[in-house]
Amino acid sequence: MPSDGQRDIGGMAVAAVMIVIGLVFLWDTTNLVDSDSVVFPRTVIFGMILFSIMFIVWNFLRPSGADTEGVQGGSTPRRIGLVAAMLGCAFLMPYTGFLLSGLAAFMVIMLLAMHEGWTRGRLIVYPLIGLAVVLGFYGLFAKALLVPLPEAPFL
Amino acid sequence: MLPGIDFLFTALTPFHIALALGGVIAGTVIGALPGLTATMAIAVLVPLTFYMPPASALILMGAIYTGAIYGGAYAAILLNTPGTPSAIATTFDGFPMAKRGDGDLAVTLACLASVTGGFIGAAFLLGLAPPLARVALAFGPVEYFWLALFGLTLISALSEGSLMKGLIGGCFGLLLACIGVAEVSSDIRFTFGSQTLLGGIEIVSALIGLYCVPVLIDMVATPARHLQVSGESRGFRLNEALRISLKSKLNLIRSSVVGTLVGILPGAGGSIAGLVAYSEARRTSKRRERFGTGEPEGIQATESANNATVGGGFIPTLVLGIPGTPPDAVILGALLVQGVRTGPHLFTAGEGSIVYTFIYGLFLATALMLPTGLLIGRYAYRTIVTVPKALLVPTIAFMTVIGTFAIRNNVSDVAIMIILGVMGWTLNRFGFRPSPIVLGLILSSIAEQGFVQGWTIGAATENLMGMFFGRPIAIAIIAFMLLSLFYPLIARRLRFNREEAGAK
Repeated sequence: MPSDGQRDIGGMAVAAVMIVIGLVFLWDTTNLVDSDSVVFPRTVIFGMILFSIMFIVWNFLRPSGADTEGVQGGSTPRRIGLVAAMLGCAFLMPYTGFLLSGLAAFMVIMLLAMHEGWTRGRLIVYPLIGLAVVLGFYGLFAKALLVPLPEAPFL
Repeated sequence: MLPGIDFLFTALTPFHIALALGGVIAGTVIGALPGLTATMAIAVLVPLTFYMPPASALILMGAIYTGAIYGGAYAAILLNTPGTPSAIATTFDGFPMAKRGDGDLAVTLACLASVTGGFIGAAFLLGLAPPLARVALAFGPVEYFWLALFGLTLISALSEGSLMKGLIGGCFGLLLACIGVAEVSSDIRFTFGSQTLLGGIEIVSALIGLYCVPVLIDMVATPARHLQVSGESRGFRLNEALRISLKSKLNLIRSSVVGTLVGILPGAGGSIAGLVAYSEARRTSKRRERFGTGEPEGIQATESANNATVGGGFIPTLVLGIPGTPPDAVILGALLVQGVRTGPHLFTAGEGSIVYTFIYGLFLATALMLPTGLLIGRYAYRTIVTVPKALLVPTIAFMTVIGTFAIRNNVSDVAIMIILGVMGWTLNRFGFRPSPIVLGLILSSIAEQGFVQGWTIGAATENLMGMFFGRPIAIAIIAFMLLSLFYPLIARRLRFNREEAGAK
């Protein structure tokens, strides 16, 4: 919730980043030869830069409160781990095949998402369910829907 | 007398009932999986239809299409991820409802709204197809441009906290959609030499990234359940949902008509229909300030509109041979393989057997969606709320990866999806919501194509102003757009004047 009278520093920082992104994209349009490809993105870029400047100036002159949440609780290492596991799965896919990379990512994310204690039952059942889910989806996509999922080159 | 009523009984054979039931179930399940769209569901199952009579083939494909559009609502409500792009606006109120423990009610409301929309769309197809098909032909590039801008006005409704942040996000989305090969001139834009970005940002991957990955990032970090769970079993909550639906019957009918009309426009599709209907529902609602926080009317508007596009989309497909939506294009291809020649003659007395059997089959599939949708919805809800987090999070993460890959068989799309997800999560921390970005992403190509083509025609005819502001349909859309933008201000002013007059 916005807190009155406070400058939205985070929002202003994002707006500043948007101005930089806009300028970089604007520079890129100078390499385009056809005016048809330039007119629309340039209009949008000018709009984005204008709104960002207005937001920053408005926040300086009449601060109406920070609408930023920050990172509210929870484990940051687990968050980073999840993103790393998903990205790892995407990058390993062409080398290890979809099945192996998917299975590895599933198991890592399962470990990251486990907040209760590991009992002997869970240690046996959860990986088996994971294996069934991965194989099930693999079968659905690769065999039934004929999606050409990457295969491991060494298999 | 209903047109082609003789064919009602042809549509009600056990074989057709079985096809419609199987199609609705398959479509609902496929639509519920993020990344698998209605187009893909139909495309995969098209070869099955080559061995069937054309009317039976159409019934099966229509049933899959109807089910898939509805199925998209499950993931939207329970995971904040639109299962299909048509369900984008369902996330706005569906997920907040699920978070506060009303996910079961939201799913039932979505089912009732989808059935209503499906019936109204099919009724338009049955009764008014040939005259309505002419409306589609009246839409030129400029009208599409204004329609896209009309959709963009929804940013004002979706900008919780700060309108300026919403506008910045909307522009950012429009810009992201410009990455890759340009719509009109085929120039390569904003790739900065990267091969990965050449194909641009795929919309469904972006939707999965911006909506689903942030939810996963927060789910993995805390032990608390991501949806509130009620202690006692509350069944389907059908009576409650029926009561709410009856109260907002006008919203359901209006949204279904909007969905049908947008569905008729080639290329517009369910996502735009849902957004326009949501915008109209919000504008006309007495509880407009509750939209975006879990307002049932928001779900009803979107779900009735997107299912109405099924019937609406078939109108130009069958009358003009111009597909109204991407799944219609696949269905049209399948019909051509079968040797069916589309055109107004399909609706005449002599040749009506295929089309009328199909339309009654569509009614049948829509009716079957009620029991199957409620059952599958209840099962999906119970699964999502009871499965332990250690299994739910990796399963959803795995589904997002495989679903994104399957769209274009491209690993780069998976990486882009995850990066967009992290970006969406970070921006959300600073009050920049994902919905305006998504709105920009979806509407960018329609807006750009319409704008550039309109500009070219206007410049060639030396009548730019007349081209953009002088055409009757364009004027009507501009009027709606202005009304949508300024109605809250006008209503506030009128209320203020009334209160002042009352005080005197």
